Amino acid sequence: MSKASIRIFIADDNCLLLEGLVTMLGEKEDFIVAGTAPNGLKALEQIKDLRPEVALIDIGMPDKDGLEVIQALHQDSPEVKVIILGLIDLTDEIMACIEAGASGYVLKESSFDHLVETIQSVHRNEAFCSPRMAASLFSRIAELTSAGRTQTSLDSVKLTGRELDVINLIAEGISNKEIARRLFIETQTVKNHVHNILEKLQLHSRFEAVQYARERKLLNKK
Amino acid sequence: MQKIHIMFSSRPILLSEVIRNLIERQPDMKVAGEVVDPIELIFALRKTPADVVIITPQKVNGNPRICAQLFKEHPALIILIVTAESRAVYIYQSGSPRKQIESPSERTILDAIRRCLQDESANNNKE
Repeated sequence: MSKASIRIFIADDNCLLLEGLVTMLGEKEDFIVAGTAPNGLKALEQIKDLRPEVALIDIGMPDKDGLEVIQALHQDSPEVKVIILGLIDLTDEIMACIEAGASGYVLKESSFDHLVETIQSVHRNEAFCSPRMAASLFSRIAELTSAGRTQTSLDSVKLTGRELDVINLIAEGISNKEIARRLFIETQTVKNHVHNILEKLQLHSRFEAVQYARERKLLNKK
Repeated sequence: MQKIHIMFSSRPILLSEVIRNLIERQPDMKVAGEVVDPIELIFALRKTPADVVIITPQKVNGNPRICAQLFKEHPALIILIVTAESRAVYIYQSGSPRKQIESPSERTILDAIRRCLQDESANNNKE
């Protein structure tokens, strides 16, 4: 056994693919296939015993899917680096796998050489992905950053005391006319306050405004 | 020794590479060709004859239309359908009901191919 050999575990319910990968990876000098499993449950049991360095896990296994396997491994065997074998280039799925603790994601539409490079990179604690996947991830990160920025700017919005009065009364289910009567102002002024509140908070309805105020504990607080 | 010529249409690419590697490892088998879309098998088989065709769809119901189309021009062809979804392997031969391989694995699939061709050759000799 070579000193630098990477111990790999493979879990896939497609027997032909599983056996083929065992043979092809086993032929590589720097890999040793430590074990295999045809489903997620057996994979978890065996990985705990065999402690491979890298585990290739099919995303779509019948009893326990790849995502559940990563989550369990991340808790029980965090030292095992997991590479997910996926069928479709779905950014959300890739992000979910990364968030769950996967070290890599290889599409089955990739070549065997790409899989080999990914295993080697992941073993060196590096990330390796196709340019297309990198583009998906960058665009997703941009979306999340932009959403985060919007959230931060909304949190910094300050409602005036009178706007808080209006929102509290809306939360009680009171009409604009009644709010106007209670606050000794014109109905049109109440409408203006509601309009300003929605514009400041970038919301579309009175209901959303009440929900926003409730979540931030602004109700009955002036 | 006459080699068994196998043509295949398989996706995803990783599975296709695994099938090619499996065939190339067998001393009595040879890759006759590979196409992306199973429908292309009709045209590929007109140019390059093969004894066996392997197709890997996600799932299969009954007798796929492609089998009837291929048998029309190549009645002696053996078609193996390996489904990813049901993890099953089916063998289709013209005029016979489809057979399912129990516990599909590299070994059982290769044995089934060799057995089918031996049976076919024995039947031809009888005739």
